[in-house]
Order: sequence, then C-alpha cells, then structure tokens
Amino acid sequence: MLELRSISKRFPGVQALQDVSLQFSPGEIHAVVGENGAGKSTAMKIITGILRPDAGQIVLDGTPLEFRSYRDSLRAGIDIVSQELQVLPRASVAENIMLDKMITRGRSGIIDWGRVNRVAQTYMDMVGLRLPASRPVHRLSAAQKQLAQIAKALAARARVLLLDEPTSSLTEFEARNLFAILRELRAQGVTILFVSHKFEEVFGLCDRVSVLRDGRVAGGVAIGDITPPALIAMMIGREYLEERLGAPSVAPAREVLRAEHLARRGKARDVSFSLAEGEILGFYGLVGAGRTEVARILIGEEKLDRGRILVGGRPARIRRVADSLYRYRLGYVTENRKEEGLFLDSSVKTNIAITAWPRLVAKMTRHIRGAEERAVAARMAHATDLRCTGLRQKARTLSGGNQQKLSIAKWLAADCDILIIDEPSVGVDVGAKAQIHRLIWDLARHDRKSIILISSDMPEIIRLSDRILVFRAGRIAGEVRGAAERPYGEVSAEIGSFLGQTAAADEPNP
Amino acid sequence: MNDAHPTDSHPVSDALAAAERLRPSHPETAPPAAGGRPGQVRAEPSAEEGAGADWVSGRTVGLIISTGVLFAVLAVQSPTFLSAYTMFVVSRQVAFYVLIALAQAVCLVVGGMNLSVGAIGSMATVVLGLLLDRAGLPSWIAAPAAVGFGCLAGLLNGAIIVGLRIDSFIVTISMMFIYMGLRSGISGGAPYRVPDTFTRVGQGTFLGIPYVFVIMLAVLLLVSYMFRNTVFGRRLLATGGNLDAARLSGISTDRMILSANAMSGFFAALAAVLWASKLGSAAPETGDDWLIVSFAVAIIGGTALNGGAVSAFGILMGASIYMLIQHGLIEVKANPYYARSFLGALILMAIVVDRLREVYAARMEDRGAR
Repeated sequence: MLELRSISKRFPGVQALQDVSLQFSPGEIHAVVGENGAGKSTAMKIITGILRPDAGQIVLDGTPLEFRSYRDSLRAGIDIVSQELQVLPRASVAENIMLDKMITRGRSGIIDWGRVNRVAQTYMDMVGLRLPASRPVHRLSAAQKQLAQIAKALAARARVLLLDEPTSSLTEFEARNLFAILRELRAQGVTILFVSHKFEEVFGLCDRVSVLRDGRVAGGVAIGDITPPALIAMMIGREYLEERLGAPSVAPAREVLRAEHLARRGKARDVSFSLAEGEILGFYGLVGAGRTEVARILIGEEKLDRGRILVGGRPARIRRVADSLYRYRLGYVTENRKEEGLFLDSSVKTNIAITAWPRLVAKMTRHIRGAEERAVAARMAHATDLRCTGLRQKARTLSGGNQQKLSIAKWLAADCDILIIDEPSVGVDVGAKAQIHRLIWDLARHDRKSIILISSDMPEIIRLSDRILVFRAGRIAGEVRGAAERPYGEVSAEIGSFLGQTAAADEPNP
Repeated sequence: MNDAHPTDSHPVSDALAAAERLRPSHPETAPPAAGGRPGQVRAEPSAEEGAGADWVSGRTVGLIISTGVLFAVLAVQSPTFLSAYTMFVVSRQVAFYVLIALAQAVCLVVGGMNLSVGAIGSMATVVLGLLLDRAGLPSWIAAPAAVGFGCLAGLLNGAIIVGLRIDSFIVTISMMFIYMGLRSGISGGAPYRVPDTFTRVGQGTFLGIPYVFVIMLAVLLLVSYMFRNTVFGRRLLATGGNLDAARLSGISTDRMILSANAMSGFFAALAAVLWASKLGSAAPETGDDWLIVSFAVAIIGGTALNGGAVSAFGILMGASIYMLIQHGLIEVKANPYYARSFLGALILMAIVVDRLREVYAARMEDRGAR
C-alpha cells in the first residue's frame, strides 16, 4: 500500500499542497481528479521524487521513503507514464526499456543486443506493442510511446504505476487497448494511480477516486458511491459555483472575426466560426483537438492550407504574429507562459510594454520614451491587479497567477481588439483564478473586446463563454449556446455528447 | 450581481483609454502620471531602461573596480606605463578589442554566436587589399567597400541560419573555414600594399587620442543607445531573452537574427580596415587570433552567453582588463608562452564570478518574493 501522510508543499506565492493524506491499495485503479492547479501534478511529482515535500511522508508498505531524486522512486518500484517524460528519442524501444539493466556479454561491458531485444520484446508483447524492438522511439506514435513506457515499468517490476492524463492524445481504440492492459495489471496486484480530466474514464475504469481541491484533499470515495454531478461538486466546491459574473451576452453585435473552412494538415479540418464584438467564444476540447492549433493559424504562427480569415469583414493576410498584432489588432495569450509567453529574466515593465514599443517611439531620436513606457506598464499592471514589488521585478519571481496576469497585461498594452486567451488558469490558485475570470469578463463586457477563450477546464469555460465550440480531432464537433443561463449538468452533458458522438466518424482518418 | 462596475470608472477601461491616448495619432498627449491609489504599481522615476542593457549595473561595477586596480598597479609598478606613447598604444589596442568583441556580442545577444568574426575580418582585409593595390581605387571607395563586404558576409551567415534553421555554431564554423580558405587562395598569403594616405586614421591622433579610439567610442555610444533606447535594440535583446515569446509578441525574430549577423560582419570588417590602416598594409593573416579575443572580451564584459543581455560599457571595461593584463604580463617579464593559459583562466573566472552573482541575486529575489 502506498500512502501519502500529511504532505505539504509550497511554491513562491502558492500553497500547492496542504496536509494531503491519501492511500492507494494494491490491485486498485485509483483516480486522482481535481481542477487545473488543484495540486494533482505536484502530488505526482512528489510521489515520483521529482519534487521534495516541505512536510509529510511517503510510506510504501509500512516503510517511510526518503526520495532524493527520481531514481530513488524508481528503485522503490514506483514508475510514471507521462507525455512529458523524457525518453531517448533516437534510441530503440528495446534500449529505452532496458536502459538501466542492459545485458552484456560476460563482464566485457559489450552489450548483447540480441538478448536485450529478445527480453524487451517479451515486455512489449505483454502490453501489446507489436513492432520490432529495434525501432527508434521517435518513429513511434504517441500511443506506442505510452505503451513503451508501460513496458519499461513492467521491466522494472513496478508495483506502483502513475498515469498522468494518459489518453489525452490517444484515439478511442488506443485508449480501450490501454484500459485493457491496465485492468490486467490491476489483476496482478499493481497499484495504479490514474490522473484524468475525463469523467467517462474515471467512472468506466477506476475503482476509487480521490479529489484534490486548492491543494487539499476534498474527499475520497469508491466509484460506485458517487455520481458524476456529485464528483463535480466535490471538485469545484460550492462557493465557487455560486459566484456569478453578471449578465450574459447582450444583443447580437457586429462581427469582428470570421473563419471560413480553415484547414491545416494534421491540425485543423474545415473549421468555420464567427466572433462578435464583446463576445466570449469558448473553445473546448482535449489537448491536441485543434483549439490551440486554430489559434496559431489565426495569429500566423501556423500556415493555412485552405480557407480564409476575415477581420472586420475584410479578408486578412496574416503571415506572422507581427501582422496579426500590428495590422489586425489580434493578440494571443499563450498557454505555456514560461516557455512562450514571458521574458523571465526581464522586468515586469519590459514584459508588458514590449508590444507597445512601436507607438512609444520619439520621432527624431527614435528612442522609446521611458516615462511613457513606465506609465503604460504601470497602468496595465494596475488594470490586471498584478501583485509585484515594482515594475523592475523580474517576471521569474512572480507567482503563477501573477505571471498569467502579466501575460494578459502585455496584450492589454498591445491594445488589441481581439484576444485569444489559451488556458488562462492552468497552474493558478483559486483566488487568482477568480480575478482572471473577472478580468476576462470585464474585458468583453465593459471594454467590448472580443475574446476567444481556450480551456480544458469545463466549469471555467461554461462560466465565462457566451457560446462554446467543442473541438474534436481537428474539427468543430458542435456548438453550445447559452451556457451561462442553463444548469451546469445539462451544459456539461451537452458538451460531453459532442465529444463522444463523433468518435465513430473519426476512426477512418489517420 | 449585475454590472457592478460602471464602464467609466473601471480600471481596465481606464488603462485601455490611456493606451488609446498613446496611439500615434495623438503623439503629444502624455498620459497622466500613474500613482495615488492603494495597491497600485507606481511608475518609478528611475533610470532603468532596457533590462538587458544596463549602462552601469551590478555586472559592471566589479569590472570598473578591477580595471581601476589593474591600472593603478601598472602605473605604480612601471615607470613607462603612464607615458604618452604607452597610453597611445594601449588605448588603440583596447579600441580594436572592443570592435572585435562587439562583432561577437551582437550575435550572442540574439542567442547565437559568430565563429567567423576573424575570417570575415580576414576576407575584408583581402577585399581592401585587392581594391587598393590591384584595382588602384582610392581609399574612400575601397574602405567602405571592404566594410560593406563584411556586412554582406554577416548577412549571408544570418540568411543561412534563418533560412535553413541551422544552428549558428555550425553555420559560422563552416563559413569560417570557407573564408579562411578563400583569403589564402586569393592572396597567396602575401600582404597588399596600401597608400600612405590610408594610414592616417590608423596611426594618427586627435588631441593626443588615437583616431581609432575615438571611432570606437562613437560606435560604442551608438550601440549602447541602440540597445537601451530603441525599439530595434530592445527587440534584439528580447529575441535572445526568449525566442518563442519574442516571436509571439509580434517581433520578426528572423529579421532580428539577420540584422545581428549583418552588424557582426560590419564590426569585424570595420576592425579589419582600421587594422590595415594601423599596420600600413593589408595583411591576410589579420583576424587569425580574433575568435578567442572576441569571446574573451565579450564574456569578461558581462555579455550573457545564452543571449538577452549586453553592456556596452562592460565591453569597454572587458577590453581594458584584457589589454592591461597582457601588458602587465610583459611588464613582469612573464614567459610569453604561458600568456594564453593565463587569459584562459581569466575568462573562466569571469564566467564563474558572473554565475555566482546570478545565483546570489536569484536567492535575494526569491527571498523578496516570499
């Protein structure tokens, strides 16, 4: 039995986990659910030794474990399967599976590839990975990579297996195959931790579910004792449901953006929609379903194979972000703040004002007028309620929520008419999340900005959006209207129906 | 709760209205000063400008002190150090180091590097020699043409890096060999003659200061202004700071990398032309020892190796330290065969000190954030 005893972990500005105690039994598939930022990934990182807790203990079969690194947890029989996990992409499947237990010829140190491949093949057979063991991993599909990771875990005789959003890039068929393997492992007495956003998986596969909310355990029950609506209530909490942002969208307004039959190989297929002034249009779907891909087409980061984009009724030619920003006043708040959104080693001021520089230039000397730059930065920091010690604070030292506000502040400074905001509350605590929601709401309602909101967080998207487009496999599977006025359960069921309904239609496509 | 915030008093609206006023159509309307309300971020009236391009900062204070100490020690120890002649030689050499380091620094700033600085300088020297000696063209045509060649060579580097998405290391090391081969093949190794008038700039002085030093100062001031105050310069810094974020913030990062490489070629060729003027001949081996110098001075001067930060003043100090130590080694009659080991250790020390400073600063900021 794997136990977490009173685990706490704090990051600058965020209490990621507070006194979290969980128990995972052998021969059990145990779902860990919670909203983005609830602490799931921090908990997983602590279990695998990637992060060390500030307080508390991890106990495996009665023995307290002290992890100094990821290797220590592997040695204890805990293995993780995740998309982020590093594999050696150029090495073969066999080498990845057998990396820490290579078979050599005697003591010579020369690898016996024949035997390595044969042993690896036996583990690959167990997970139904039917391809040559010598194939390099980078040529495998996402599903095959996952199976290879599970095979590796089997080779390591893992007693605890963590799966972090394992189906996010799998087809229905591949997911069903994965579940069959997991059930088999359960029968062999492996403890399986299953982190997922998808309720159909939690209810269809798992035995127990533990809920994290705001870094605390909100509850843990056997799956037979709870209904999906009750689980949602446990995940998001009552007080959160009750707060209303205000009146939903008003009368139909001027169309500011129209997409006609956008297509990009492997990313988007025949995507058409229109966006009105002052509207919040939600893009819901799973990772890789085409939401971010469409956003990147709109801003010119991704090429367009077919279709056209109209801004303010006129066809737009957007070849790079500079075009979308300075010609069409269309901005994109990225999903990966640290990687693509912020200049972590630069000041708050630079991070905000960067998009505004061209209009702050003095005519003769061509210099950026410093006082105005500071004024713009200070105003936008104030408008987004950014908490910082001053404009000179480095972006790196801000908390997750404030970093997100900083990304939004940058686009406010850019003075865009249309804003695409991608996963605004990932890694943000609940207080900051409410503020960000209020900010997005006010931008649309009071400032008549048109907003495309991309989110995998169902309560968030239902709460904020006037209309929701549900993406699946690169296309729009359905549209949900009037989400804010209707009961949550009804809307989420409708979204769910769009996600499931088109499954059959997707199969023939590669 | 229905419309709790009337539009006219809402912070977002206020901020956006202010942004509206800042549009080019109303260039004269300055925004009202921010401040007053509690919890509001004030616009500090500080001198801080481009974050990655400080004029004097934590990075450079140590350099100023080091330079001062070295200078003082040499002045006390050596009776000839403060003589006009030594000062002339030293300051002129410092000027060359600065130009060569700038050629490297502009590439480092955007997150790349240029291993062909010396090779471009060498080819520019050959071009200069061909135009002056073989074609018999006047200096005022040959010198700009050689510098223009440097720009084009840098631009070519940049075009390959950007166009084919190849790492700058691989591109510039290949180009280095290509140019080195070309200059040997074309010149046959023998120096070209230059007219006497051509040597005026390289050997002359203005109020006792070498022309070369004056030119270097002017270039350095321009570069500093560019990085601190212009959109172009700060976009270069942003490109090196985070390439993806810069591109997604509407910066044409490809254009930035192209420009940086063209400027690198410009500085390398400028140094080469001035060197020929100083030498009194266009020697093809010019530039053979520039690669190490360019990195050493740029790094000692506080240019971030992974991009995003540069200090013009730091480079000047870095060049001075590099020069003074070399001069000092001669003064104390150190075995010249060991000189490079000493300079190598110096570069390593500069990196270690910079790293320690960063770790320390991060720790302080982390504490401040809690």
